[in-house]
Amino acid sequence: MAIAQLPESPEIHKLPLHKYVDAVRWLPSISALGRYAVLASFDSDSDSPSIEIHSISPSKNLALASTYAPLSSRISSLKSTRFADRPIIAASTHLGSFHIMTVNPMDLSIESVAEEELHLGGASCVDLVDGGLDCVSVGEDGMVNLVSLGEAQLKKARVFDANGLVSYTAAKWASPTEFATGGYGFSLHWWDRRKPGGPVSQFKCDRVQEKASGIVQSIDIHPSRKHTCLASGSSGTIFAWDLRRQQEPIILSGVGMGEGVSSSVSDSEIWEIQYDRSIRPSNAGSRILPVMICSEDGILAVVEEGEEPVELLAEPCAINSFDIDRQNPSEVICSLEWEAIAILSRPR
Amino acid sequence: MPGAASDSGGGGSAGAGALVPLSSETKQSPVYPLRHSVGPPVSPRVSVCWARGSSLRVSIFQQQSPSCGEGDVGGEVVEVKLSGGDGEISDAQWRRIAYGSMSPFAMLQSRRNSVSTLSRISPSPYHVDWWEFVMEYSKDINALLGSPRSTPASVIEDPKTVLKKSEKPTSLKAAWELMELFYADKLSQAWLPERLIDWLADYDSLFSGSCATVHSKLVDFQNELINIQVIEDNPRYWEVIGSALAVGWLEIVVKLLHLHGSYQLDQLSSRETESGLVEAVAVLISRMPRMRLELGDGRLGECYKAKPDFIKAWEKWRAQITKMDCSAYWIQCNHLQTREGLKNLLQIMLGNTNSLSSATYHWLELYVSHFLYVRPFTVGLESMHGLAQKCIQLKPVPRSQKLMGLLLGILGENTEVVLAECSKQFGPWMVAHAIELMTAGSDEAESLLCEEHYNLGELSIQELHRLVYAQVLSSHAFTWQIAPVYLTSCMKQGMGLLEILLCKQPVQHNELLHKNLEICRLYELDSVSSHIMKIAGVHHWKHGRKGAGVFWLQQARDEFRLHKIAQQLFASVGKSISDESFKQWEGLIELLGSESKTAGGLEFLHKYRDFKRSLKHIHDGKSIEAAQQAVESLMLLMKNPSTPQRFWLPLLYDSLKLINWQDRPVLNVTQTNLLLNRLQELSIARLRPDFVEADLPSQALSAVRLALATNLGRAILEE
Repeated sequence: MAIAQLPESPEIHKLPLHKYVDAVRWLPSISALGRYAVLASFDSDSDSPSIEIHSISPSKNLALASTYAPLSSRISSLKSTRFADRPIIAASTHLGSFHIMTVNPMDLSIESVAEEELHLGGASCVDLVDGGLDCVSVGEDGMVNLVSLGEAQLKKARVFDANGLVSYTAAKWASPTEFATGGYGFSLHWWDRRKPGGPVSQFKCDRVQEKASGIVQSIDIHPSRKHTCLASGSSGTIFAWDLRRQQEPIILSGVGMGEGVSSSVSDSEIWEIQYDRSIRPSNAGSRILPVMICSEDGILAVVEEGEEPVELLAEPCAINSFDIDRQNPSEVICSLEWEAIAILSRPR
Repeated sequence: MPGAASDSGGGGSAGAGALVPLSSETKQSPVYPLRHSVGPPVSPRVSVCWARGSSLRVSIFQQQSPSCGEGDVGGEVVEVKLSGGDGEISDAQWRRIAYGSMSPFAMLQSRRNSVSTLSRISPSPYHVDWWEFVMEYSKDINALLGSPRSTPASVIEDPKTVLKKSEKPTSLKAAWELMELFYADKLSQAWLPERLIDWLADYDSLFSGSCATVHSKLVDFQNELINIQVIEDNPRYWEVIGSALAVGWLEIVVKLLHLHGSYQLDQLSSRETESGLVEAVAVLISRMPRMRLELGDGRLGECYKAKPDFIKAWEKWRAQITKMDCSAYWIQCNHLQTREGLKNLLQIMLGNTNSLSSATYHWLELYVSHFLYVRPFTVGLESMHGLAQKCIQLKPVPRSQKLMGLLLGILGENTEVVLAECSKQFGPWMVAHAIELMTAGSDEAESLLCEEHYNLGELSIQELHRLVYAQVLSSHAFTWQIAPVYLTSCMKQGMGLLEILLCKQPVQHNELLHKNLEICRLYELDSVSSHIMKIAGVHHWKHGRKGAGVFWLQQARDEFRLHKIAQQLFASVGKSISDESFKQWEGLIELLGSESKTAGGLEFLHKYRDFKRSLKHIHDGKSIEAAQQAVESLMLLMKNPSTPQRFWLPLLYDSLKLINWQDRPVLNVTQTNLLLNRLQELSIARLRPDFVEADLPSQALSAVRLALATNLGRAILEE
């Protein structure tokens, strides 16, 4: 490649909401026509957190479709998936409660399916199995819970209780039986439902230059590469842990991570990481697939192993969460610190 | 949020009726309902104090302490948010303005810094262009305050729509534009009267609330327009045309004139003269010479930039009007109202003060009409101010209008009044940001605002207002992150207050904590950062999240507290590192890292884990290698000074199997001696009152002693 082709810049729509957006997700599409996003918002005037569904018009205008308000505190984690033609939303709050909701496809109203007090305070993180009803919920209290919505009833199981000796800050399913969790000190644990009693495997990403450690804020695992656990967190750190090569992390970015890391996409907290689904995995070889991140210093970027990161958005305020549309991966929605969201349409 | 709590009183220094400070229609005191779960009877005693921002913290108690029952609450503390603002701009809108104005402000500050560094190196021409930077800043902020004024109308115009509909203007935007055109925009200095005419055209509707305005008259007339049959017979028609002409809204005047009945096709032949006169006046109006930089698209009038050209055109135009006034055609015009009306328009254009006075409704309109038709050559603030005083005597001043005091302050070149008006009417945001415009305006204002004042605690007025605004920002959970930008622009007290702000942020939530630490990193406040980490560590520790607590204390390198909590941890270790709970500990020990320099005695846990592990291997198999490894770990632990004394006996008791190793002794003589010495020390220590007895069977000590003695014998024999 002689001249690197400059990627076309995406079309950006910024939409003020006048409410703080704690998290944002695309809602798996209900019909071919409508497109919807689910938002965890916080209104400071009324001190009330809520979960809202907004419809997004083709010209990227927001219209509130429905609200779900009975929440004990602000949302710490929000996930969505689809099960039996219905969108499912899972959420956890800062006080440790856990909610599962479905969305009525007719009038888009949010119906609560289950609500549990799973954690003893502290923020927690949830993740839903792709297209299923199994949900893992981890918390700073060190509990790892599984909630399964069966045919008629809710099944709860405490997989592990670290008694506060370890705190978990991130969780992600790898397969219907395995999941990964992340926590303090850039540590990752690998769990298998078939082997209860504790993590199957654990890993800690130590910095090369002994400076300070950090926290794993987000994990992603690609369905085609279940052995690789991708994690991101403090000081712009992005690393991948290959279960087959346990003690050799692949570091994509990070401050003070040693010689091998050429550039750091950000110097601050990376709040969320996801594989960039708009890029086909076939031509990547054995390299880490391209990933997208959002950060506290206001950057939404695509990072590829061994290449300069491509910034999609550089804001004066933090970008707290983002989501790539599964059906249309060129569209990205993200929440901005200053009470707004942004929708990016990348040229296909 | 910012907003004057006292919105009463007149409109500034010249406020008519300012003698009545409290108007009779005193605003109804707002009522805030309290929502609480304290069961009746509620005690009449409540405690009220200020909480964060403009909210009150109210503590409510039950009359008697709750007798019994789980759900009974004996008391509760609730927060009541007092709604601020004046209604024109909502809290959410103020926040949007605060978010948006941060970047332009920060940009201007960094430019100021780089310009001042450059000028220090060499006296450069950069200073000359400073106002251009200020102008860019002002434009950015102005864009935030509202969408640009009325857009060009659609292709097919409704002939009956005279006024274009646009977003309702806010007085905040009007005030900002006023400051911009008087202080920042150096290009407009020569054309101030014309700029003021444009400004009034945009914002005349703001005065409609307190008195009649040309705008309100036009709106009323437009609403009636559908019902009027013969428009030229209606005296209101000629009245509004005259008013619109007086304030220079030429497009509206010409459009209204074209509604005249004589233009209708069926009447054209019979009212030829009449129509000709109307058209002649319309043409004269649309050719009015204006001395200004430019005229927008679709604006009527002829634009002249140079004064001599303008004077020539002006005199020619006036001559045409005079000629028209004396025209013989007037006699042939049979329609009385038309004749009178058109003649009045000519009088307005000729600058007849009586006509102008009767066509306008408040002093600002009269003022503007004087610029247009009587004194088009007015320059300089002094003469503008003089004219304003004259107009105020002739026409009423709109009462309780936020902009009057400001405008008079600007015209009177009184920086203090302008500052006070900004602060009183528009709040801290306006003052903090408008000072940038004022300092760019004149050196005199700059020295007043930037000079340190003894009575302000050696602060400058500029810094004081930035600090006030930063306080407002800090008081809201969404905007506190912007405050550092303003605080760091304050030389004297900014950094100190920033440190306090950062240290006071809550640490419970991970996200918030990280946002806080990120600000510390940006401003290189390492000591504050480690202080916050310590707070976070202790908070997590207290709430049972031991791992998180240890992590943050480690990050803060707080040896002292780590050592303290280590003692507490050890107390539970002895009991709980049994085999099944070992997995819980595993994570924490992993967190401590292998080279735990900053573990404050906690590295003991690491070695203890290794020892436990190797001990487990022995239980599994009986290899001598495993046993030797276990012995090594044991010796490391027993030699290490950081191993707490209370662990000595449990450790030895755990290793009974090692000491009593069947095939041959695995501990040599020196090792056994060391362990015996430790046992001896322990026996002495037990006599001390603060000794903590290990939770072990009573015969543990003698069992260990016996085993060690036996082993010693075996080891001596072996050697």
